[in-house]
Amino acid sequence: MQVYLPIAEMSVDALLLVGIGFGVGWLSGLFGVGGGFLLTPLLILIGIPAPVAVASGANQTLGASVSGLIAQWRRGTVDARMGTVLLVGGLTGSLLGVQLFALLRRVGQVDLAVSLFYVVVLGTVGGLMVMESVRAILRRRNAMKRKLHEHFWVHGLPLKMRFRKSRLYISVIPPFAIGVGIGVLSAVMGVGGGFMLVPAMIYLLGIPTSVVIGTSLFQVVFVAANVTLLQAIQLGTVDLLLTLLLLLGGVAGAQFGASMGGKLRGEETRALLGMLVLGVALSLLWGLLRPPENLFSSGPAL
Amino acid sequence: MRAGSLLLLLVLLALPARAQDALVAALSQDAVEVTTGFTGAQLMVFGSTEAPIGPGGDEVVVVVHGPNRPTVVRRKVPVLGVLWVNGPSARFADVPGFYFVAGTRPAWQLLPEVERHRYGLGLDALPLVSTGARSPAFRAALLELEVLSGLWVEDSQPVEIAGSRLFHVRLPLPAGVPTGDYRVEVLLVRSRQVVARQELAFRVDRVGTADRIASVAEDQPLVYGIACILLAAFAGWFGSVVFRRS
Repeated sequence: MQVYLPIAEMSVDALLLVGIGFGVGWLSGLFGVGGGFLLTPLLILIGIPAPVAVASGANQTLGASVSGLIAQWRRGTVDARMGTVLLVGGLTGSLLGVQLFALLRRVGQVDLAVSLFYVVVLGTVGGLMVMESVRAILRRRNAMKRKLHEHFWVHGLPLKMRFRKSRLYISVIPPFAIGVGIGVLSAVMGVGGGFMLVPAMIYLLGIPTSVVIGTSLFQVVFVAANVTLLQAIQLGTVDLLLTLLLLLGGVAGAQFGASMGGKLRGEETRALLGMLVLGVALSLLWGLLRPPENLFSSGPAL
Repeated sequence: MRAGSLLLLLVLLALPARAQDALVAALSQDAVEVTTGFTGAQLMVFGSTEAPIGPGGDEVVVVVHGPNRPTVVRRKVPVLGVLWVNGPSARFADVPGFYFVAGTRPAWQLLPEVERHRYGLGLDALPLVSTGARSPAFRAALLELEVLSGLWVEDSQPVEIAGSRLFHVRLPLPAGVPTGDYRVEVLLVRSRQVVARQELAFRVDRVGTADRIASVAEDQPLVYGIACILLAAFAGWFGSVVFRRS
């Protein structure tokens, strides 16, 4: 069933979009991440222009994360104070990111920049995840003790604040900086950034795992909303119809994935997710290195 | 389609013959509606001539221009020998978003080159002025890309003749046609000269949901952005309630 996307100005198979939404939703439910990092490259692969794919991807991430946030909020596992600090950083970062995106679009390097960001970020995160989980699987055999609370250099910075739910008394600078970084990536890559935010919160800030998911969802939802709004106003590239079709499949897939995810063991799940992330990064890298079939491309002049 | 042609023929025969008109042409519709289910459309350009058309007689050429839009053509260059990056670019100010030309015979067989360029008949006769990179390869690449996307069509099919005075040609509009005003020119060629011409027009418009979404996004981006946020949030929440498995 063909459907005409009013902003992308092209005709796409609606079932294909719902199917992509379902597949990505299923994986995101399985692994407990937003799945935006899979969605945007897939959309670009089926011919959606990169600016529309990024903007609509952010819009979809917002929708996909809302129900998770509501559930976590009810359970009381959202550190709203920590979330707000992250969010202030995230809003700043996404504002900068959208400016960067607009600039890239003017000079005609959007596709390159989006691919490069994906290759670097996903390559790093995927590699780290695989390494970390392999180490954890090995460690399980000869169980080692881990320190309950570790002190890093980040704990010596000024502007300290007490985060009761996270049981932390740290400077606001690190969470703010992490928020800015995730915000920029969110605007350029069309992702929520949960797959980077969660490890950063655990390993860099030392937030207890019980409140990490809820707090990261808090940040993701609002940053994705901000990216959607800015992209809509500044670039006019959010395709509502595309978003809704993706969400239709996505929310269904996420529920199936989540019920299946409970049966997998933590380390194995993370290793699988890491390999998936690495796979996406490698395929995008190949797209950059392969000699193009057609050296020329055309687009609307801005 | 055959039945359609026959009907067309009857309609045309029923028209009172106006002796002074060497050429009468019309379009099967003057508006194309782009709905959310739009997958392209076909228009018929048809008409009749006073003198017989076909081999040895008059010839008919049909040319269609879509709304102009500025376009940038970029060339990829290898950076550090491995990474393919968009490099030099040429900006074309007035590129027709749709172009179609067809004749009872290809235009280059019918008209002297000067005339053919004057009327812009044929892809090589399009007046494409560019700024930026100078190489003629950019113009060639633009032609290739537009032809590949189905938006520029040159002599894909001849203008068909029925009963030596009636002609018709199908105009294929792909799903990606730009919206706006389209200009159709029908030219009557006799002994390597244009002896009569008629201009027709049609519009391509988005209608229904597709139009509402696009126009709100364009005119009130703030409202549109907020609507996108709220609708996505609602759809996400609603979906998780409907598909809840626990």
